Amino acid sequence: MRTVLVASMRHHTRRYVAASVAVVIGVAFIVVIGMLTGATRSGLTADAGAPVSGVDLVVSPDAPRDTQRLVDAAADGGFPALTLGYAMEPVSRDGVQLAQSVDVAEVSLDPRVQWQVLEDGRFPSAAGEALADVNRAKSNDVAIGDVVRIGSGPAATDVEVVGLVDSPAAMGAALYVPWDDLRHFEDTLWVDAVAWGGTEAQATLVARSATVETADGWVAARQAEISRGVDVIAIMALLFVVIALFVGVLVITNTFSILFAQRMRDFALLRCVGVTRRQLRRAIRLEALALGVAAAALGVAVGALAGAGLVALVRRWFTDMGPAALDPVWTGAAFAVGTLVTLAAAWLPTRSATRVAPLAALRPDTGVDVRSAAGRWRLALAALGVSAGAALLVLAVAASSVPAMLAGGIASFVGVLLLGPVLVPRLIRLVGGLPGAGPVRRLATGNAVRNPRRTATTAASLLVGVTLTTAILTGLASSRTAIDKDMDRSYPLDATITAGAAPLDGALVDRVADTPGVAEAVGLDGTTATIGRVDVALLGAGRAPGVVRGGADLAPEDGVLLLPYDVVQDLPARTAERVWDDGEVTLTVDGREHTLDVETASGWGRSGLVSAATLASLDPDPQPMAVWARASDGADAEDLSGDLAALAGAAGADLDGGHGNRSWVYLQVDILTGSVVGLLAVAIVIALVGIANTLGLSVLERGRENALLRAMGLTRRQLGRAMAVEGLLLSSVATMLGTAIGLVFAWVGVQVMVTAVVEDAAFTVPVWQVGAVAAVAALAGLAACVLPARRAAAVTPAAGLALD
Amino acid sequence: MTTTLGSTTTTAASARGLTRTYGAGDNLVHALRGVDLDLPAGRFTAIMGPSGSGKSTLMHCLAGLDAATSGSVTVAGRDLAGLDDTALTVFRREHIGFVFQAFNLLPMLTAGQNIVLPLELAGRPVDRERYDQVVGVLGIADRLGHLPSQLSGGQQQRVAIARALVTQPDIVFADEPTGNLDSEASAEVLGHLRRSVRELGMTVVMVTHELDAAAYADDVVVIHDGAVTAHLTDPGQDELVAALRGRAA
Ligand SMILES: Nc1ncnc2c1ncn2[C@@H]1O[C@H](COP(=O)(O)OP(=O)(O)O)[C@@H](O)[C@H]1O
Ligand SMILES: [Mg+2]
Repeated sequence: MRTVLVASMRHHTRRYVAASVAVVIGVAFIVVIGMLTGATRSGLTADAGAPVSGVDLVVSPDAPRDTQRLVDAAADGGFPALTLGYAMEPVSRDGVQLAQSVDVAEVSLDPRVQWQVLEDGRFPSAAGEALADVNRAKSNDVAIGDVVRIGSGPAATDVEVVGLVDSPAAMGAALYVPWDDLRHFEDTLWVDAVAWGGTEAQATLVARSATVETADGWVAARQAEISRGVDVIAIMALLFVVIALFVGVLVITNTFSILFAQRMRDFALLRCVGVTRRQLRRAIRLEALALGVAAAALGVAVGALAGAGLVALVRRWFTDMGPAALDPVWTGAAFAVGTLVTLAAAWLPTRSATRVAPLAALRPDTGVDVRSAAGRWRLALAALGVSAGAALLVLAVAASSVPAMLAGGIASFVGVLLLGPVLVPRLIRLVGGLPGAGPVRRLATGNAVRNPRRTATTAASLLVGVTLTTAILTGLASSRTAIDKDMDRSYPLDATITAGAAPLDGALVDRVADTPGVAEAVGLDGTTATIGRVDVALLGAGRAPGVVRGGADLAPEDGVLLLPYDVVQDLPARTAERVWDDGEVTLTVDGREHTLDVETASGWGRSGLVSAATLASLDPDPQPMAVWARASDGADAEDLSGDLAALAGAAGADLDGGHGNRSWVYLQVDILTGSVVGLLAVAIVIALVGIANTLGLSVLERGRENALLRAMGLTRRQLGRAMAVEGLLLSSVATMLGTAIGLVFAWVGVQVMVTAVVEDAAFTVPVWQVGAVAAVAALAGLAACVLPARRAAAVTPAAGLALD
Repeated sequence: MTTTLGSTTTTAASARGLTRTYGAGDNLVHALRGVDLDLPAGRFTAIMGPSGSGKSTLMHCLAGLDAATSGSVTVAGRDLAGLDDTALTVFRREHIGFVFQAFNLLPMLTAGQNIVLPLELAGRPVDRERYDQVVGVLGIADRLGHLPSQLSGGQQQRVAIARALVTQPDIVFADEPTGNLDSEASAEVLGHLRRSVRELGMTVVMVTHELDAAAYADDVVVIHDGAVTAHLTDPGQDELVAALRGRAA
């Protein structure tokens, strides 16, 4: 049997290529994900202990108050303490904003806990001096000696950069300032822990409810936390591996079925000469095992190379990533999965192949026509899956239940897959029979449907990827409309420039309007009011300017003052209480007191809004006090805020607005969309390998037939075209079916997951994206038959007739 | 000799110095060694010879299915050497019909669809009268809706002959058309081939290694080891046996 096995493997090597390609891609996919997450984890956890290396204990305070007490106690006791945390503040230089939100952490003045690695310059010796991360400084063109302003409003602090440091990922910040500067940013400051040079008793003395742990324990906990975060990403990625492997199983099963069908005579002959069924089965399984082991090994090699390359590439931009390394357990698992998947995929085809009767070898062969029909049980199961799935989906929509949706989706999809041998050939006939069919198309259609099960499995492999991609793209586009509405509510204005003490130059609005990325700008008149000793600009917002996004109502009624929440919070306690409890406020304009009704909202910067009439009654001679701008679609957030910050800075005004946040959220959605599509692309690539494979094997199988057709007068080009049309029919039917199912799934998903949260979310089909996926999948099907078609056309009729 | 159509002097196909080799170096096989041959139109010619003597190769070269290594082939007055693959294909579908030993029919097409396939590939309309005539002569009118797998071997070969005849080709090549059939079905198929020559005025060239099959033919070409050793017109049984033996001895 060994000689038969070796000989047949050698003879059929080329035919196994497709099956092994599917395994190689799947295994490489797993290895690459392992290497990427491993490198990310090692990069993020490396040096996580650096900030606490100079101390024995870490204190996690319970309240912000405790932090200050701990710092003070350390100063009194003469031992070091370093806060571990950061504030997020805008940073500008010479009135030009460098970044809207920068992480600022503490650098100690005590050398014992100055853990940062100095690249250039020196450590700060007093408040007002800062360290900058060398990479961030480089990208913002900040050098030693520069004075930057951190924060806005009353907290704004100017610091001089005195040193550049290289900081590790885990605790790294862009800027480091001494505690006396950092504590100004209490609004955005979040301190996780304090590296503590004193004893536990000294800590609990001042911060009773704080948790004290050893520095090593704290570092281990942090590393575990980071690892868990990375693990979540790895698990999400593995979900796509499972999808890709599922498609791989379909492709491999199909390859084996076709190969075995073609070798049926060989098998029967072996049985004739005395090979038992069991021996035959063993031989075939050994063949599958050998293939699986070889392909999985190749997959590990390809994955290791691709992973190392990817990690190296990513490290060029994202320096926090660690070096590439192969995790032995992960890699071994990938290898095992590849081998097992191959074995499993060969299982069923092997069983049916070994059932061949010895007599089959003796029967005259009337051409290859392996008809396979859908069994009755299969149809019943399919009907059950589709109907139960549909019922579950209806239930899911009615009850907004995610588990019902998942169960229904899987059940109905499996039903559709089972229905494939009936459904797919019919659809292919339908499409192939569209008016205008010539002999080539008729031939292609006939070939495409002659083996329903094979056709259905090939289509199914592509169907999986197209369905999921369509569903996810549509789902994300629909949630995007929900996000849009939410954004419009939270950030009705893209950018606001609000006057500080002095009114604005009347021409500022034109300069803002001329800024690239600004679609429209309006100027608002107003006056300055004093509410409980706090100066607030009051704007006449009566004319509901076209710069406001969404349906936000920024036009208060006469006699009503619209105040931002954060202004109210800054008011003296008694005044604020009156705002919250009574909805009233007394304010002073030009020395005269007025009492107005108050409503609170947010989204237009630090100013109060009143109607034009109210403004006129408060101040007969209002001045230009604010400019509101709406960004054009696709405007770069950093550029725009930089340009506007320069204008605002020059005018001594404050820049605010939601464009940066909005862009950031959209960027996240785009990144999510891109990663999902990229990960699903692997499944689609495997499916295309499957199509190429089915067609390629069909070429071998139909060698005689094709030769006959060529003898009969089919030109080489017609034969090539027939193959192309066959591939196109297969891929386009799978694509159409996938798009349709994907849209249904997306609709259900939106009803269940988005509409339940945001009631006015609209089901949105991203026509261009879905169309592009469909076009790529269908055309890739065409590309998949380039090689098979060439091979088919290259055979001369005489050679083809001699084939066996 | 019957003179139904054309004249006995017209040549349907001819070969001059036709050589075909396979492989190279030590593996070089001379399948044909400079064959000169004229096949008259309107006659049923059998090409005979032992297995491996080059019969199929000769037929493939004559029919434009395979390119000659050297020498020339002329079919219906046309030198095939100057034709590229597409022109050759178009020439085949207009001038030549085929019947093979097996795998004659496309399994997914019915008998009727198989018969009109060459016309369809050429984009030519089906001549109903001709179709009915051919189907009638071959006695397969009641089998047209069946798939090949539902037909017996003899019926399949008759469908294949009908397909070869329906385009009214200048010449029909048949490679061991009875090789897979029992003697009864063989006789039937051979009878049909002869009728197509007698009644429909076709030119048929049949490759065979069976003496019984050759008996149906008008002329017999004997080939041995890649070379034509005899070209007999209306041979008697003894003459034929002698020609085959004479070389073998
Ligand atoms: N494709 C091929 N490659 C190599 N040798 C071939 C090929 N086809 C035929 N031959 C050789 O050419 C010779 C004639 O073959 P063929 O024409 O098939 O003979 P016949 O049909 O008379 O049995 C034989 O020796 C055969 O082995
Ligand atoms: Mg032969």
